[in-house]
Amino acid sequence: MRRTLLAAAPIAVAVGVFGMSFGVLARQVHIPGWAAVLMSALVFAGSAQFAAIAILGAGGGVVAAVLAGALLNLRYLAVGAAVAQVLPGGPLRRVLLGQLVVDESYVLGVAAGEAGRPDARTVLTTGALLYGCWVLGTIVGVLLGPLFGDPKRLGLDAAFPALFVALLWPMLTTRRAIRAAVAGGAAGLILAPFTPPGVPLAVAAAVGLLVSQ
Amino acid sequence: MTWLLIGGLALATFALRGTGPVLPRIPETLTQRTTGLAPALLAALVMSQLVTGGWHPDVKAAAVAVAAALAAVRAPLLASVIAGAAVAAGLRLLLHAA
Repeated sequence: MRRTLLAAAPIAVAVGVFGMSFGVLARQVHIPGWAAVLMSALVFAGSAQFAAIAILGAGGGVVAAVLAGALLNLRYLAVGAAVAQVLPGGPLRRVLLGQLVVDESYVLGVAAGEAGRPDARTVLTTGALLYGCWVLGTIVGVLLGPLFGDPKRLGLDAAFPALFVALLWPMLTTRRAIRAAVAGGAAGLILAPFTPPGVPLAVAAAVGLLVSQ
Repeated sequence: MTWLLIGGLALATFALRGTGPVLPRIPETLTQRTTGLAPALLAALVMSQLVTGGWHPDVKAAAVAVAAALAAVRAPLLASVIAGAAVAAGLRLLLHAA
């Protein structure tokens, strides 16, 4: 238990600070503070939450924001299936425990387990720890947000694309992923100036599916 | 509107996270197909953020280049974000002064 927490500590700190930046940026795009905190508590998915508020901030609709976030979370189908065999209990309990399986807790669980069998205790304890850090971080960020003033002066508007490119980079390990990224990037570059924010993402999702067959 | 945003995203994420643990035999062709989705969407998000105001040079492009370079040397995520914001803020300050 102690070893698990020690291994998770640096990631927990990073997730807390990441949650803080979510709170700050949510306020910058005029999401009410309570809504940002509630979103972190109920969704608990960094990249999806950032994508959703970035779309709203760019003038996009709620449906486009929800769809983009949901599509980014499709990877959890595969991640959930990968931990299925080690999760305890009946179907309902497993569905609930599955909510603690996030990218970071999954990676730590794989590191602590044997080949092909992630360690369930590690996944669940670190998942719960990271959940607390994510929500607490968001609360702190929401409270600090108004102190930042004009978002452009501090470059906060550039924080969104900087974050998305940093999330993207480690995924570019296969030809298929690189093809998908190039196609999706082209869709954004060509369509964004004259279409509502949901359109480039919908086209990117379609070409992403097409080029990965 | 805020409720639709939170409720919609929360329900979708709950369903996606809950499916794998009870239905682990998701056809591989489906999971294979979806691997391209995240990179395509993230790349589209990056590019859209750079050109929403039209196709003209923006300091945000420099911010993205610095953030990508930091990610390439495996710097923490937050380093990329802060460096990106700092580059944009710094360049704006310089351009404004010039």
